[in-house]
Amino acid sequence: MTLILFFIFSAVMCIAIVLFKDKTITRIITIGYASMHILFTIYCWANLDKTELSYFTYNSLGVLLLSVLSFMIIPTLYHGFIYASADNSKRYSIYHAALIALMSSMSGAYLANGMTVLWIFVEATTIAVAALIYHDRTEIALEATWKYVFICSTGIALAYLGILFLGFIYGRKDASNLSFTALADIINQANPLYVKIAFVFVLIGFSTKMGLFPMHTVTIDAHSVAPPPISALISTTLMNVGFLAIFRVYTLFASSSILPFMNNVLILSGVLSLLIAAGYMLKAKHLKRMLAYSSLENMGLVAIAIGVGGGGYYAALLLIVLHSLAKSSLFYQMGQLSRVLHTFKLDECGRYMKLYPAGALVLLTGMVCILAIPPSGLFISEFMIIKGLVFNNKWFILLVAIILLCFVIYAMSTRILHIVFSDPLIDDNGRLPDRINPVESISQFVLLGIVIAMCFYQPPFLADMINQSFALLPKWLL
Amino acid sequence: MVNYLVVLFAVTLVYFASAERLINYIRLIGLQGLLLCGIAIFELKEVNTANLIFIASESLIFKAILIPYLLTRIINRSGVTKVHRLAMPGFYTLIFSIVALLISITLAYSLTNSFVNIIYMAIALYTLFTGLLLIATHKLIISHLTGFLIIENAVFLFSLSIGNKMPMMINVGILLDLFVGVLILGFFGLRLRPHTNELTRLKD
Repeated sequence: MTLILFFIFSAVMCIAIVLFKDKTITRIITIGYASMHILFTIYCWANLDKTELSYFTYNSLGVLLLSVLSFMIIPTLYHGFIYASADNSKRYSIYHAALIALMSSMSGAYLANGMTVLWIFVEATTIAVAALIYHDRTEIALEATWKYVFICSTGIALAYLGILFLGFIYGRKDASNLSFTALADIINQANPLYVKIAFVFVLIGFSTKMGLFPMHTVTIDAHSVAPPPISALISTTLMNVGFLAIFRVYTLFASSSILPFMNNVLILSGVLSLLIAAGYMLKAKHLKRMLAYSSLENMGLVAIAIGVGGGGYYAALLLIVLHSLAKSSLFYQMGQLSRVLHTFKLDECGRYMKLYPAGALVLLTGMVCILAIPPSGLFISEFMIIKGLVFNNKWFILLVAIILLCFVIYAMSTRILHIVFSDPLIDDNGRLPDRINPVESISQFVLLGIVIAMCFYQPPFLADMINQSFALLPKWLL
Repeated sequence: MVNYLVVLFAVTLVYFASAERLINYIRLIGLQGLLLCGIAIFELKEVNTANLIFIASESLIFKAILIPYLLTRIINRSGVTKVHRLAMPGFYTLIFSIVALLISITLAYSLTNSFVNIIYMAIALYTLFTGLLLIATHKLIISHLTGFLIIENAVFLFSLSIGNKMPMMINVGILLDLFVGVLILGFFGLRLRPHTNELTRLKD
């Protein structure tokens, strides 16, 4: 009942925002939505493993990712209010209605307990995020939106084919919604070829959302034009939706004979993601695209971590959570950087420490965090992944991954240090920098502070939640 | 009867590979919609009548009539008639298409399953490969849209093959039409140019 009320209220709020087209009312409704979302997340924590409406279960992994989204709602809305403040009422209301639709769709995807329902919510996220990418109404925004919808549509169609293959395995009327529990019972009797094909289709399809190779291009272009608060969501909570879909199917198939096949495919996909990320980051000339490639790199590491198994599962989930906090703070900062420097082009950026010291500090701290340099909490994850590769004797993968990570560290640190301390290479912008109150950066410092604190102390409730998230995997795998 | 319709559906795919005019693409998409409607009516014998009427009318109205009509309007407005100016020559596409057919048949035989008709499986796989081939070998975005429509038809065909056992899979799959709507909106509402092959402003 609570869940259906959540969806009904979300829909009503979206409609109200579009109908009223008033900035003040939109703000009030959006803040109301944020409060409702946080309360709903608390309710989910209090009712772990409860099933509602047959199609949704408040399981650990879903609630963990829902909590990350809830945690990010207030900074996303805050930076969104600032970003969209110059818009007219109509555009302002469309932005916030689409944002609520996106957050509700992501919440539904996190809590879905079956493949078809999960898929429906993933489809809904695509439509909602398309409206947000097109927010600036420029030709380049149109190109990015069309590409995003087209590639996502193709990916989602392929993912649905994967789900249909699961249907072929089941083929009975008593599990029409393809729930994970119904499939888990019969997976070991299925033809392994069907299971392999289903996994490959699901991986390719949902990699459009996770931003993983081979469908990674879709999110890179979207980042170039999307408003920074939306980039923060695309690069974190929306990628988490893709991760969740792939990890659910992985968990489902882990007890079958195709486990080594899945691990190899994930490691291959992860290494190729790292390779592409490193290559493009070395020649990146657009700040937001560079951060998008950094997300590709992190998702590649997540894929490798799952492929490694054992401690890699914990590392993957910790990386997912901490990457969300660190990357979102960097994207929020991009919104402020564009107000100061009026550009995202690296050659035109510079002297940021002088122009906006608080922002420069966020960039430097964010760089340390996202590159997993101690005291970043991401260091713990990456260390565990490296440990897993050593224990599994995957020396070649380890070597390749470390070399590629070195390239990533070099590419990102030289560019960020250039923005912060150097003069711009091209200085023909002609516009005076805006002044920003450092208070606006507080939320970014809080998020980065949490990422750093996690390097020294991971609260037991979080560690328990992460451990429970992969508890459905066969015990001998852990 | 169903098998004849499915084979006829496969013939439209071969024709896709050799077609050189966009109007032929649109006619073929319309014909595929009609065939899918027929396949749904003859195949889904265990589905309740209301659901069958919904599925059949959706494929007839949306896939066979509305989408071809909207695509025709897009082409008439843009004046673009031929596709191969910017794509792989038809001869090579045809060879790739035949190779895809052979792979599909081989794959379908190795995927023998008591729940799924092997002809369905082979043709649905062939449809999927044709859609992907069209996207990969063409540069016009209108051709890409056609490729997506073919992939969508592949999904529909796959879902029809287990439709009697799991009708919900067809109903959910129909949601993919939402994307078609949004993509077509790109041409009408947002004035995307169908003749453009230069969606390349966003690059590194």
